[in-house]
Amino acid sequence: MIISVILGLVLLGLVLLLALVLPSVTSGTVPFGVRIPAQYAADPVVAAQSRLYRRRVLLCGGIVAVAGVASVAVTGQPLLLPLSVLVLVGTWYGCFFLAHQEIRAAKLAGGWFQGLHQGIAVDTELRTNPPRFPWLWLAPAVAVTLATAAIGIMMYPSMPQNLAVHYGANGVPNRIEVKSVGSAFSLVFLQLGLTALLGGIAAAVVRSRPDLDPARPLGSSRWARHYMSLGAKALLGLVAMIDLGLMGSSLLMWTGTVSRWAPLVIVIPVLASVAATIAVLARNNRDRGSNGEDTGLTHRDDDKFWRGGVIYINREDPALVVPRRFGIGWTLNFGDPRAAMLLAGVVALIGLVIALRFAS
Amino acid sequence: MILSVDLGADVPIYQQIRDQIVEAIAHGSLTDGSALPPTRTLAADFGINFHTVNKAYDLLRQEGLIRLSRGTGAVVTAPATDQLPADWTARARTLLAEAVARGLPADEVLRACRTLLDSFGATQQEGTP
Repeated sequence: MIISVILGLVLLGLVLLLALVLPSVTSGTVPFGVRIPAQYAADPVVAAQSRLYRRRVLLCGGIVAVAGVASVAVTGQPLLLPLSVLVLVGTWYGCFFLAHQEIRAAKLAGGWFQGLHQGIAVDTELRTNPPRFPWLWLAPAVAVTLATAAIGIMMYPSMPQNLAVHYGANGVPNRIEVKSVGSAFSLVFLQLGLTALLGGIAAAVVRSRPDLDPARPLGSSRWARHYMSLGAKALLGLVAMIDLGLMGSSLLMWTGTVSRWAPLVIVIPVLASVAATIAVLARNNRDRGSNGEDTGLTHRDDDKFWRGGVIYINREDPALVVPRRFGIGWTLNFGDPRAAMLLAGVVALIGLVIALRFAS
Repeated sequence: MILSVDLGADVPIYQQIRDQIVEAIAHGSLTDGSALPPTRTLAADFGINFHTVNKAYDLLRQEGLIRLSRGTGAVVTAPATDQLPADWTARARTLLAEAVARGLPADEVLRACRTLLDSFGATQQEGTP
């Protein structure tokens, strides 16, 4: 129970830290999801909203943490703390939206885009000579998965007849299954699926559309090439660490080890690698290759395609994966039918997992 | 090669794309055999309709500056010819008429033409084996 509370609080702290850091690492021309010209990046309205946002997020974070711990203490249900993370994410978006609305109103009232030449820049070299997929970075994830499978095959005859396939929040097994290839190698199959999924996402990232600054397209293109490569490497590093955690969990299952520390075997590598991935991407997200060039163009005012400042819906845009407007990474163009199909697939998969879980 | 479009300009987007590719060929940054992104990819990178890029590529194809194929996509085929195409002469005529109508001296116009030609030619000679 104490471990679950600590892990829940660590997760809450990480989300809070992310909420506080993201405005500083997001491009200065899209504060809180509002596209503004570069010369207004330091406008007093933007600065004031950034301060207000941080105060609101800190206040909400404090209230949610105290309420989460109190509810766990009263009910004795450690799962309430991870649930409070969802509440924090909701209030985080509320704080974001308030700042978004204020900056948008100031932009429209002040006519910030009036008289400016709005444009779009593209570097054709990113297509004719794209950044290479970092195959070497995929090797650790593949090696860990193969090693887990090999160890599993060797240990299979000596494994206990009943395997603990799921642990409760207190580290005690709450689901036991008879030894079979399906139960013994369930985490290996998960490793394979995750490696393929995150490897595929990393390949999509390398080929995704960069958000080039039309005022300085050369510098921002160089940055985009570096950032896409970094993003792919970070994702592949992340999946290697997740696979390592799953390898540890498999070993515990195969040796019949029961420990209250068992959840840490998977949680620590995953949390550490998520934190490292975010840190690496965030550190490289703000300075987008400024080199003094100025073409006289500015970004186009495309706010109308970003619902609520975060969801991109543009039926005219053939791109499926686009750079995220707020924060780091990429998002989908929900105006593209493929995005709706992908979303439906994910929802169906989650539904299937839940249905199977209840069925068993 | 960087392609930029000005969304507020009077010149249509497909024309801007076409003009910049022509200029890149003249400068030598695109040479015979250079690949251009496929139509859909370039449209996705610009975030514009596929037909806009298609129109630009189609103009370049009609002018004999690129060839389009299913396998290789769009490839530059800068033709070596010493004959001026008729449509080029007509457009040059309009531009020169504009200069004369504005009262620019003939030697000033010729000097401007020579400077522009040299800026393309010099780069192209350096870039061509």
